[in-house]
Amino acid sequence: MARSTTLRRPARDRAGRRGGPLPYLLVSPLAAFIVVLALVPAVYTVVEAFFRVQPLNPPVAFSGLENFKNVLSNATLQTSIGNTVLYVVIGVTASTLLAIGMAVTLQQPFRGRSVLIAILVLPWALPGVVEGIVWGSIWDSNTGLFNSILHSLHLIDNYVVFLGENRFLTILGIELVQVWQITPLSTLLILAALQQIPSDLYEAAALDGASRWKAFRRVTLPLARPGITIAMVQAVIATLNVFDQPYVLNGSAATGSTVTMQTYFVSFQNLDFGAGYALSLLVTIATVVVSLVILKLVYRAVEY
Amino acid sequence: MIRMSSRVRGAVTAVIASTLAVGLASCGSGSSSGGSTQTKGVTITVALFGAAPPKASMDAFTQSTGITVNWTTIDWDSLQTKIAAASTSNTYFADATDVDWSRVGQEGKLGWFLPLEKYLDANALKADMPQLTSFTYDGHIVGVPFDASYLVTTVNTEMFAKAGITTMPTTIAEYTDDLRKIKASGVAEHPLNIPFAAAEGLSTYWYETTNAFGGTILDGSGKPQFTSPDSAGYKAAQWMVDAMKSGLVPPGNINVADSQGQQTLMAKGLVASTFADYSGNVGSLYNVPASSSVVGKVQYLATPGVTGPTTNVSNPDGIGILKTAKYPQAAAKFIEWFTDGANQADFAGVNGPDKVMEGYFLPSRLSGLTTLTDKGTLVSGKELTAMLKTSQPVFPAGAPTWYPQFSNAVYTNLHAAATGSVTVDAAIKAIADTADQLSK
Repeated sequence: MARSTTLRRPARDRAGRRGGPLPYLLVSPLAAFIVVLALVPAVYTVVEAFFRVQPLNPPVAFSGLENFKNVLSNATLQTSIGNTVLYVVIGVTASTLLAIGMAVTLQQPFRGRSVLIAILVLPWALPGVVEGIVWGSIWDSNTGLFNSILHSLHLIDNYVVFLGENRFLTILGIELVQVWQITPLSTLLILAALQQIPSDLYEAAALDGASRWKAFRRVTLPLARPGITIAMVQAVIATLNVFDQPYVLNGSAATGSTVTMQTYFVSFQNLDFGAGYALSLLVTIATVVVSLVILKLVYRAVEY
Repeated sequence: MIRMSSRVRGAVTAVIASTLAVGLASCGSGSSSGGSTQTKGVTITVALFGAAPPKASMDAFTQSTGITVNWTTIDWDSLQTKIAAASTSNTYFADATDVDWSRVGQEGKLGWFLPLEKYLDANALKADMPQLTSFTYDGHIVGVPFDASYLVTTVNTEMFAKAGITTMPTTIAEYTDDLRKIKASGVAEHPLNIPFAAAEGLSTYWYETTNAFGGTILDGSGKPQFTSPDSAGYKAAQWMVDAMKSGLVPPGNINVADSQGQQTLMAKGLVASTFADYSGNVGSLYNVPASSSVVGKVQYLATPGVTGPTTNVSNPDGIGILKTAKYPQAAAKFIEWFTDGANQADFAGVNGPDKVMEGYFLPSRLSGLTTLTDKGTLVSGKELTAMLKTSQPVFPAGAPTWYPQFSNAVYTNLHAAATGSVTVDAAIKAIADTADQLSK
């Protein structure tokens, strides 16, 4: 049984229209902030991506698509693109599945739930570099905690090299650290969506004889789609731009390097800012395209 | 490449300039041109990657000069990014900041730092600072080394003795044999620490090993000197990778960075030697009970070469004045004070813990080092002083402008060779190709 809600224009909208310039004045500081700190650099990046901007090789000159051609034909970058795709696939899939499971668990009332939610948020609040250092001592192949546990349990005879040797294992190990970081936010986003689902829908499902699993598939998942979509999009943005964790845990090795790391190297090591702008632009376009695909595939409007 | 017409360029520049002007105005920052000669009553910003000197010392400096120092600690990587971003946009970031030996070519060519010979007594500096040559570009002093850093060989004497080694090795062949003895005797399963993580520490390890094999990396025009299998650089790379494959190096070192290996392996007695260790590590790490289980057991070893002990490669950090500095004259006074021999000896602990600067290794001035040695404050002071006197720059003709790209090629390819994904020959060829391409 679905509840219907009459859609009515909120009173504050009508008041806003009568408010004259006040609403605009109120939002203008934030708007100016966004324009200066987001829009201006974005426009600057787009424009400069088509210029040769190399302080060691002046002058600045229009170069058309040359920056794009150069970066895309670079073998190191091609490896990094492949790595980044793996980070995104592993990260988005793992964080979304984990977040759904955790959100469903946290939706149930139980003692200490609020404390658990507060603890859950901690990894999200930690800087990526700090997480990299902490997890470095866990993954360490000579003295790491994980190896020590596996050895103590007699599951391995010799310590295993988790990072730096095998490409897939390296990316998996690093991405798990990022999943640990981004899953809390995904959980909260999905939990917020779950809490919007009216309880009478579950009551109706139970009356119709639906099992808990069926109720989850037929009621919970479809109605949580808006939250799941936002969670997936934020996971895409985070994983496509992953830098701190691979840089701290695996240095610049090809087994784990990412496009964002290459952007940094190209810009601040090679001082080829034009190529750096071009790479940044490509990452932005990729982020938008993947996010739109997720929106198209996952998002469904929900009305109660 | 198409050169943009002046009209189009002008229009684009106007758009960017106007938008940037809004941003810069609202952020309250501003670009600097020239800087003030004022020193009394000014506040300068010093941005470095380490902790500040003790407050009492800084207060004494302020009292004697009228200059207040706002010390900002920023990690090394972020510092290089900020220097590049601020300098290319001609924006003030700090008055004095880090000049790494490896960036001297790049930063010297770009003119990001003011020539220090205009502010300091260059001749006096040269006489007392052997590593100053690493900071000279095109006849100008770009930075002054504030902390002597050169690569040294360290050995755990107890582990060597347990393996029955009574005479310390003087050649790299003897050194390798001794490591094999230590492994065979079971004293250490993997006796040698080489940090194979794809990071700068791997590049510098190779430079030191190449030096030990009696060669250099690049010639004066930037041409690679390591492509022939008979060359020192090739032999050094082969020696390092062979050490990994034969089990002299712990397998996990494939992902261990230099300082990490020193702290978690050498300081814990898990390995017997580090061929290219940090100078000063014996006193500041291995003999510190809180961080070490090998107190009193690790010593410096004159770097084993082909026929006998050889020189060391230097990799010092310096401090310079950014061209966008607000108070260059005041910054110069600070650098003079910060790199003064007596103050450096204080920072290194000659006059007790109150004046110690956290994380400070060794004075870059021979006079500072001599003070420490004479007072018996420095472990192996005489040996360290001798090594500093003869330490060599990695690139005798100065670090090339493209060094960061070159180093990236060095450590990613040597790392790949250690994992076995490419051969040493292929790694050396890739590094050489990078150098050839960049030096054109």
